Amino acid sequence: MPLYLSPRIGPTLQSALDETVLMAQLSDALGSPLGVILPQQLTANVAAFRSVFSDHRLSGQIYYAHKANRSSALVRELAATDAGIDVASLAELQHALGAGFVPQRVMATGPKNEEFLWLCARTGVTVSADSVGELAALATLVTDWSLPRVRVMARLSGFTSAGVQFNSRRSRFGVSAAAVSEVLDVIEKRADALDLVGVAFHLDTIGLPEKAVALEGCLGALDECRRRGLRPWSVDIGGGFGVDYLADGAQWEQYTSALTEAVLGRRAPLTWTGHGYGLRAEGAHVRGSLNLYPAHRPVSGPAYLDRLLRTASPEQRRPLGTLLLDNMYDLHVEPGRALLDQCGLVLASVLEVRDEANGDTIVRLDCNARDVSLEEHGVLMDPVVVHRTTPAAPGPVGVYLFGNLCLEADLITRRKVFLPSRPCAGDLLAFVNTAGYLMDFSATQALRQPIGRKVALYRDDGAWRWCLDEQYWPVHHRAEAP
Amino acid sequence: MRFENMTDAIGNTPLVRIDPAVHGLRNIDLYAKMELLNPFGSLKDRAAWNMARPLLTQAVERGDTVVELSSGNTAKALAVIAGMHGLTFKSVTNRMKVAEIKDLLLLLGAEIDELPGQAECLDPTDTDDPLTRMYHRLAGSGDGYLHTDQYFNELNVDAHLNGTGPEIVKDLDGRAPDYFIACVGTAGSSTGVAAALRQHNPDVSVVGLVAHKSDFIPGIRTIDEVHEVGLFDPGVYDTVETITADDAIDGLLTLVRRCGTLAGPTGGGAYQGAVRHLRAIDAQLTERHTAVFIVCDRVESYMSYLRERRPELFGRPPRRNSLRTVTDADVRQAATMDVAEAERWIAERRGLVVDLRSPFAYQALHIDGSINIVDELFAELLHGGLPFGHRQPVLLVCPVGEKSARYAALLTRMGHPDVRSLDGGIIAWRDAGAELVRD
Repeated sequence: MPLYLSPRIGPTLQSALDETVLMAQLSDALGSPLGVILPQQLTANVAAFRSVFSDHRLSGQIYYAHKANRSSALVRELAATDAGIDVASLAELQHALGAGFVPQRVMATGPKNEEFLWLCARTGVTVSADSVGELAALATLVTDWSLPRVRVMARLSGFTSAGVQFNSRRSRFGVSAAAVSEVLDVIEKRADALDLVGVAFHLDTIGLPEKAVALEGCLGALDECRRRGLRPWSVDIGGGFGVDYLADGAQWEQYTSALTEAVLGRRAPLTWTGHGYGLRAEGAHVRGSLNLYPAHRPVSGPAYLDRLLRTASPEQRRPLGTLLLDNMYDLHVEPGRALLDQCGLVLASVLEVRDEANGDTIVRLDCNARDVSLEEHGVLMDPVVVHRTTPAAPGPVGVYLFGNLCLEADLITRRKVFLPSRPCAGDLLAFVNTAGYLMDFSATQALRQPIGRKVALYRDDGAWRWCLDEQYWPVHHRAEAP
Repeated sequence: MRFENMTDAIGNTPLVRIDPAVHGLRNIDLYAKMELLNPFGSLKDRAAWNMARPLLTQAVERGDTVVELSSGNTAKALAVIAGMHGLTFKSVTNRMKVAEIKDLLLLLGAEIDELPGQAECLDPTDTDDPLTRMYHRLAGSGDGYLHTDQYFNELNVDAHLNGTGPEIVKDLDGRAPDYFIACVGTAGSSTGVAAALRQHNPDVSVVGLVAHKSDFIPGIRTIDEVHEVGLFDPGVYDTVETITADDAIDGLLTLVRRCGTLAGPTGGGAYQGAVRHLRAIDAQLTERHTAVFIVCDRVESYMSYLRERRPELFGRPPRRNSLRTVTDADVRQAATMDVAEAERWIAERRGLVVDLRSPFAYQALHIDGSINIVDELFAELLHGGLPFGHRQPVLLVCPVGEKSARYAALLTRMGHPDVRSLDGGIIAWRDAGAELVRD
């Protein structure tokens, strides 16, 4: 019984995959691996988030977390929508400004050096400050360079709850919510340089109750602002809305059950050297927990945001969305992965398919685990086989996917992957829905292996067209006038 | 019966025959072990008491906190037992899902620690799950905790090996039943009872019931989760079968409506799983057999669980003057007032301004002179009739003018001649630069 984990493929992505001749040509011309970006899908994803805002009658901005993909096509396409962008480095800020984002649509987050802070202040983007020290440094820059007041958000963390204690992972970012008065002291003292427009948090969790505690904590902090006469009007709840990667929840359940049995030794291993993805056997029992992205997430992306806004706040017992609206606050979100749902794929060419003496089948690819970082992010999802010719031996096959680095550890995934038909050398594997964090997020030139090129694939005039990612702009040059 | 302590009332629960007209089995007598009649409300009273009792004297001397990983009945029983001995109880849980149990624990004075949810951005080098961290914390802190460790503590099994199991045999006149069906939670009761029954009859057929993987049934683990339980030994069960939340609720309804047994979903699941398993066997039998299942706890703690999954069971007659009866056409007819007009109207003190937002938001900033009745309270008042006179002009205010228009339409239909809604709500008011105050 093959244990498939079939990817969820929307109509646009499927239509691109169906262009098998084009895919093969692109791979032949530009090499393996090849990142394929579908920028236009991003527009639809922005609209889906927008409709949640309008359902709840909320205003505010959707800031795309740029770090999820370095593609230019995505950022330029996004500039043509009404969304904003969240930049977390100097180069990302330059990239966003160059793609057409005016500073009012840019939010700078994360750890910042002085150059980054200076460009933020000089151009007038909103700075989401990580610490009291960062606010002080920013105020000094503003004074030293006679810059206009900078709009700032204060990032908070370490929220506490009454009654039931909701524990959250410790975060390296943000000021403790209990110490918000220190932030406000600096803001008040440097009112000439800093204009507080809101408070922010980002929790690395899929749990709603923790986020409800944090959001209510932000409301408390904003109330403290109002008590002091400050008038910030927004709450930024960060990202973490997630993506549903798999087409069939039952496959996920079968697979994870089988993995548990394999860890216990009750069935043949499903992974290279019996890796347990966080599970381990102690005697006849399983310890640890599955350290994987929950690939089957029926409530994800915009639906997760909707669920969060419908969640009752722990203290005031009113839906969080209603509370935001009651208080006239704008809601800001910073989705990365969720905005890039269905926005791209990675093509890798098959170098060799061989059967080992122990019965294992190996598929060696011309790419490595850093080019398709499914394993690094714990996402278990099958690639799609793009055959050059009709497969000689139809029927499913379980294979291990080896990478092109001369390292024992370079497997694209440590999981045995079941494919519906056996690939052969020259075929392509398409790792679909990988635009968010799973494409070239941590690609390197280790061993002088090349970092894959990237192309933008877009619909124009009823056909698929393509160009290099850095050549893409939302205005498309038609081959000829109609 | 005269006792010194409530803990003396633990155990010795009745074994009650289920009416064959209800289950329809012709050759099998089906008995329910009524564990819901334990003093703190469940089967877990036995394990909690058995695990805690030997450690209590020392714990009391040291003033330890009793701690257990539980989001249900074990936590409840331990909280009561801790309280009886002047100790505090802390429950560590992986998301407490049943609201009533959480409230009851807080009422009993327990502390509840919720473990963090799964990370969205995975760190593959972080291989310690929150549970393992909790074990380390308990072990590392040394003194200060009495950790009952129900998933690994053999005293959990012993409570049933020496209590529940022998009671069943005694009530069946010294014979073990042919079939024993139990839901698997900590595996303590099924393992203990099965061992006791097999001492009398090695051929007892033991059926373990686990929850369907995507379902949540309080007190029952899924097929993957049982492997994490230290007390779980697959050899105990002749078969392990799956039940769904729907099965559990169907069984619960049969027990509460037809059998005089106010069982919770675990008991319901055990009944439904038992009947399903036995029905296939029953047809082939030529002699009489006996089967026993356990009714673990009571229904009252699961009202929110049932309401969420079977809202139709709680259908109530509609209340009068309900906002839901207001149509979009009604709303379009509702009188409104724009910000400029409202500023004049308010300055001239022409009537009452009612702000329908939350008290927290109202207190932060509001229109001077307005009063605050939060919408849910306002809706409640209107079920009883108009909360102000006909001659009292009213302006309703909400965030964007949508809710206030619905209420204006409702009040108009109730016969109020002069009620209006602030167009665009308080957000339009703010955006127009009109004054907002804070007391």
